[in-house]
Formats: sequence, structure tokens, C-alpha cells
Amino acid sequence: MLTLEAILLGLIMGVFYGLMAFGLTLIFGILKVVYFAHGESFMIGAFTYSLLALWLGVPLWLAIPSAIVVGGVVGVIVERLLIRPLYEKFGDWQAMRDEYAIIVTFGLSLFLVNLANQVFGPYPFRGPDLTDVARFEFGPLIVGGHRLAAAVLGGAVLIGAYLFIQHSFGGKQIRAVAQNRFGASIAGIDTRMVSMLVFALAGGLAALSGALLAPLFHASPDVGVLPALKSFVIVVLGGMGSPIGSLVGGLILGVLESLGALYISYTYRDTYAFAILILVLLLRPQGLFGERAREV
Amino acid sequence: MSFLEIDRVSLRFAGLLAVDEVSLRIEQGEMVGLIGPNGSGKTTLLNIITGNYAPDAGEVRLQGRRIDGLRPNRIARLGIARMFQLTRLFRRLSTLDNLITAGCAVGLGYHEAQARADALIEELGLGEVRDEDGANLSGGQQKLLEFGCMFMGDPRLAVLDEPFAAIHPSMREIMVRIIKDRHAKGQTFLIVSHDIPAVIDLRPRLVVMNAGSVIADGNFERVLNDPEVIEAYLGGAAA
Amino acid sequence: MSGSRLRTRNEFLASLLFLALVALLPIWVTSTYWQGLFVVSMYFALLAVAWNLLAGYTGQFSLAPTAFAMIGAYTTGLLAHHFGLSPLIGIPAAIVVSAVVGMGLGRVVFRLRGPYLALTTLAFAEILRHVVRNAHQITRGEFGLRVPALFDHHLAYYYLFLALLLAVQTGLYLMLRSPAGLYLQAIRDDETAAASRGVNVIVWKTVAFTISGAICGIAGALYVHFAEIASPQIGHIFETGLVLASVVIGGMGTMIGPVVGAFLVEITSEQFRAIGLNHMLFFAFMVIVIVRFFREGLWGLSMLALRPWLAQPARKRRPLGAGGS
Repeated sequence: MLTLEAILLGLIMGVFYGLMAFGLTLIFGILKVVYFAHGESFMIGAFTYSLLALWLGVPLWLAIPSAIVVGGVVGVIVERLLIRPLYEKFGDWQAMRDEYAIIVTFGLSLFLVNLANQVFGPYPFRGPDLTDVARFEFGPLIVGGHRLAAAVLGGAVLIGAYLFIQHSFGGKQIRAVAQNRFGASIAGIDTRMVSMLVFALAGGLAALSGALLAPLFHASPDVGVLPALKSFVIVVLGGMGSPIGSLVGGLILGVLESLGALYISYTYRDTYAFAILILVLLLRPQGLFGERAREV
Repeated sequence: MSFLEIDRVSLRFAGLLAVDEVSLRIEQGEMVGLIGPNGSGKTTLLNIITGNYAPDAGEVRLQGRRIDGLRPNRIARLGIARMFQLTRLFRRLSTLDNLITAGCAVGLGYHEAQARADALIEELGLGEVRDEDGANLSGGQQKLLEFGCMFMGDPRLAVLDEPFAAIHPSMREIMVRIIKDRHAKGQTFLIVSHDIPAVIDLRPRLVVMNAGSVIADGNFERVLNDPEVIEAYLGGAAA
Repeated sequence: MSGSRLRTRNEFLASLLFLALVALLPIWVTSTYWQGLFVVSMYFALLAVAWNLLAGYTGQFSLAPTAFAMIGAYTTGLLAHHFGLSPLIGIPAAIVVSAVVGMGLGRVVFRLRGPYLALTTLAFAEILRHVVRNAHQITRGEFGLRVPALFDHHLAYYYLFLALLLAVQTGLYLMLRSPAGLYLQAIRDDETAAASRGVNVIVWKTVAFTISGAICGIAGALYVHFAEIASPQIGHIFETGLVLASVVIGGMGTMIGPVVGAFLVEITSEQFRAIGLNHMLFFAFMVIVIVRFFREGLWGLSMLALRPWLAQPARKRRPLGAGGS
């Protein structure tokens, strides 16, 4: 029974991980480089939600969308200021996009974390639960009320995002740019707009994840670091650039972590994601769904 | 036993059979031109010879010794030097250092490599940019530099992938002059090119590929009049 | 002398000048607070030089330099704490262990490029830190491990660090002048071409990881003997951020950038801390600005400014669209 509960909890966490990984994999799809500051979108969502609800008494049904919007807006600003050079062949860095991306996004991450630290202080804020129901019982399984509500809400949004990517015109444009930026631009797609859209989407989804988890993880400046690292693992597991991979990967990681915490060690539960990442990258550098290079 | 033996080599890329049971023998001192339409597998075959790809089937032998599946640096040390279709060099090293690196990497001592590099720079006409970073060279100069790097180690086989593409005629002349000069001294060459007139100038044995297979192989005059070759090029370059 | 060699030589000489200045500083600066600050700067300078070797010269963007410092730190710390071994054994052991781990890591990640490499080394660093933090029985976790001092007087540490920094810089310079240095830079600039010219990429990447790891390890070991305590904070990702910032601000891929950058970063940090402002905020901002606009860092900027008076070719900006790519 414990196992079943662990799996259920793992799936729930998997939804939140999936929200983060989905956006990250889209970013990778159009940029082909890792965006290290993704965790800060999570953090922004957590803070927005918690502070709006706690300080301004904003009702929850407004606070959550606000968090999403703020996350999206920050994403667009980042794209506009820092990410443009990556695909617009900017000066010295033309041949060294990977270096630029790593340093800039890493620097951005440090900057945002410390900015939050400067403005809000290092002490965590606890945002309010989504629901007053303390727990739900499904037969022998018990789940916390907020957790379940948050997972349902998050899951719905995530499915919506996936459908958007697969079926809407905006989504198709995104996939076109991911496959071939230059070709897409010749076909008439506004690649700049697509980049902004992707960053807005990724920022918003990560912020939602942060907001939903705020009551559990507590909003603090570096709250996003660990979820970001885990979403990197998921993106690599699922194949960098594969939306369905990120969804499935998120659920898998959530479950593996949960079972690991139960059967191996609770203290080291945060290390499993990293161990999995190292193993996967060493054994199968292209991820579970990626393509294999031919080189000797 | 031939100098280089390619023995029923095949390579498939996720559904596309790029090289289909190709067999080829190259003798020491030969000048071989490898031509064919786009997508015929020429560059892939080259990559197999130089170790950048490992074949799915078949063997490649250099003077009897199997080299397929070896890493590119091993094969370079065994005496096969190559040039890439899209110029590859070390952008933040100077012209001189680019050459010295190539020399040391195949076993030359530093000072010997520097002496040879200076001589090559003279021969290539790159004296002006000897101390400039690779990134600051013009496209043609970069190509010449990569060309020169091949000869630092007195290679047994020089493999060139589209050396005459996108290059100023005066620089092409330098390249052709050096190729002819080295060939007269016994250097074996394998040249992939779309530029048929430039290749013919070297009076090569011509090997023609199409869709992963060799469809013609022999003296260039005979090969270029082969109807199958002409058809493969669809009215293209038969001079 | 060739352009890149000349540059390297000038950078090395400039760094010697800088270190000579640092050697003379205690004549004017007698406060132990400031001397200690410089010692910490030299610790970061060592990490910066090591990271620059791996990332700036070999193109391997590892996010694990502080993990190796932590390995060195805890090797000597644990040997002293649990077995009472003197630092004369602990420090060499730290070098060996961090070199071996560096070699292992390098050998195992050689296939990875760019973001994959960064993520794997980050994962490695984070696992290590988590383990050190949670293995209370052995490491005393966040409370830290008491480590014996080496000397009584502050200045002894000062000159020990300085001597090490000097040795490392000189060693690095000699290496860069040799074929090995060319191979590393070739790998950075174009790994495929390097392999095709005959460079054994696996071996040289592993060498870079090993040396870089060893330098970080000894830096960490000396540091904890100076601070007299070892804590998992050493390996925190924000410390890595400081190392990166030092190198980027000073000038990546140069022989002097990391050293000067480390001093700048550490000293400015302290001033910010003293005023109560968040120093990381400033540095992160600086890193972003410099990376966005001045790739060569402060050293590169000064070279550009001084160009009319110098005899060497500077790195020119290639006009967009012209020439090869």
C-alpha cells in the first residue's frame, strides 16, 4: 500500500515537474542551448502567488493566473534582452553560442536569485493552500488536499499546453522553428515572435508550477534551483526538444524519486535525479527519445 | 595488396543507404578523382576512410592493415590526411600555430614543425597572415590553410573534399600547383569534387558514384563519355 | 613570434607583474583582515585559473570546479579529523584524490559537449555536495569539520598561496607554449578538426580535467587549513558562480584575466558585504553585461584601448558576413 501511495505522490509531483520541463524543452527546441535561469521563473511564480495572497489579500482564483502572467512577461523580457543574440549571429560570440548561453543564463540565474534575496530577504514565505480540504481519501490511499487540487489544475493546464503545441497554428509555428529556424523564416514565420511566444509559455508554465507548489516548498529566493536542475534531467531523459518526452519524463522522474525516497533513502532523495542524469548521459547521450550520432 | 583497399563497405543512416557495398582499390602514387551528383555518398565514403564514421559492413585496409572503426586521430597518425568540405580550422590560433599543431599531432617535434610550417606558408602565399588568428583570414585563405595542414606530416594519402569550391582562382592555382608537384613526387591523392574541369586538369583516374554505388571507374576520358555517367549527371558536366 | 604565442607571453608577464605587486602588498597593508581577504582572493584565483584552463583554453564548460575544491578540502580535513594525519600527508593526498577524480570524470564525459557537459558536471557537483552535507557521521555536515592550522602567522599562508599561484601560472604558461597547449586550444576551437589532424582528443581532454581538478583540489585543501574549517558551502553552486564571474569579468581564455578577475571579484564582494549590499547581484549583472557586450572581459578591453602603443596584433572583430564562418 505504501508503494501505491508513493507512486501516486510521485505522479502528482510529476505533474509539477512536467510543467517546468515542458517549457524548458520547447526553449531547447528553438534555441538548441540550455536555459539555466528557468528555475527563476518557478521562483517568480511562487513569490507572486504567495505575496499577492498574503500581502494584498488577492483571492486565489486571481493570484494563480497573475503568477502565470508575471512569469510569462519576465520570460519575454529575458528573451528580448539576452536571448536574441543567440540566434541573430551577434559579433564575437557567433562561433561560441554554447559558451554564451551557459554563461549568460547562469549569470541571469544568479542575478535573479540575489535580486529576490535583496528585495524580499532570504526567509521563506508560505503561500496559502488551494483548498481547505485537508485530505482526500481514495479507499486505502490518502492524499493531501492541496496537493491533489494543485495536481489536477496543473495537469489540466499542461494538457492544454500540449494540445496547443500539437494542434494550434501557434504551436505549429513553434515546431517549425524548432526543426529549422532559417527554413521557417523563409516560409514566412516570424521567428522573433515565435521565440517570444515560447519564452512566455515556458515562463508562465514554470511560474504556475512555482505557485502551485508554494504552499509546500515555500517561496524563497533559491526555491527554483532544485526544480530547475530536475527539469534539466527530465528534458534530457525525454529527449531535448520533445514535448511528449518532457511530460512522460516528468511523471517517470516523480515516481522514481518517490519510490527512491521510500525504499532507498529519504535523506538523499534529491540526489536521485542527478544520479539518473549522469547515468543516462553516459549510457545514452541522446536521451531516451533522441537520435544517435554516428561518430566513432 | 593495394595501398588502400575499400572492401564492400556499407553505411546506412536511419533508413537511407548512403554507401551500398562499395569496393575500391587505390594504388600508391595514384591520383583519384571521386565525382558524382549530390547525395551520391562521396563525402560519406570519405568519412569512412578517415574514421569519422564507422561502416555498418565491410572493411577498409591501408597497406593490408584494417583501419575501419579506428578513431580519426589514429588514422591521421597512420598517414591519411584530409580536408573538409566546409573549412575547419582553429580560429583562435594563428596561421603558423594551426600548421604547427597539425605537424606535432602527427609526430613532428616542435621546432621541426615550425620550420616546415614556415616553408609551407611561403609555398601557399600566406606569408602576410602568418601571425593572424585563423578567424581573421579570408575564406580563401582559410581554405588554403586547411589545405596546407594536410602536408605537414608527409601523409601517405591525402583526401580532399571539394577543395576547389568557393575559392578565388588565384588560390586555386596555388592548390593545383602544389597538388601536381606533390603528385609528381609520389603523393597519393583522393579528391572529391563537383568541379569537373578542375579535376580533369589533374589527369586522374575517375571514380563515379551515384546513389551510394560506384557506377564507373577508370581513365577520365573514357569515364566521362560513359552514357551511364552522363545520365547520372542529368545533362550536367561532361566536358 | 606568432600572434597567439606573443599574446600568451605578454599575458603571462603581465600576470607576473601583478603577482609581484601582490607579493609586496603586505608592506603597506598590515591589517590581518585585508591580508586574509587577499588569501581568499588567491584561493579563488587558483580556482579561476583551473577553470579557465578547462573552459577557456580547452573549451570544456564544467560546472564542477568548487566540487573539486571540496574534494581536496575534505580529503585533508577527514584525514586530519578521523586519523590525526598531519597536513603534510593530507595535502598531497588531496592533490592525488582530486587528480584521480578529475581523470575519472574527464574520461567519462569526453563524449559530451556544451550543455550536456555542463549539466553532467553540475549533477556531479550537486550529488557530491548533497552527500557531504548529509553524511553527518563522517563529515559533520553543515556544522563543518574542524581542520588544523598550518602556520601561526597569517603571512605564512599569504606567501604559501602566492607561491602556489605563481607555480601554477608558470606551469600553465609552459604547457601553453608546448604542443600540449596547442592541442587543448585546437580541441576548444574545433574538436573534429583536431581529431582529423591527429590530436588524441580523449587523452587531452582527460589531461585537462585531471590538471584542473588537481589545482582546485590543492586550492581547497590549503584553504581549509587557512580557515580552519571545512564546510559543504565550499562546493555550493553560487561559489561556482563566483569562479565563473572572476574568469569572465577578467577575460576568459587569457593568462591574466582569471587572476585579476578573482581579486576584483573577491575584494569588491567584501566591500559590498560591508555596505550591506548583495555582491552577487552586482557580479551576476557584470557577468551578463560583459558576456553580452565585451567578450574579452576587462583584460580584452584594456588591450583594445592600449593597442596603439603595443606591438602585437589584437584579436580583431570580424565584420559580419565576410570570410569564413
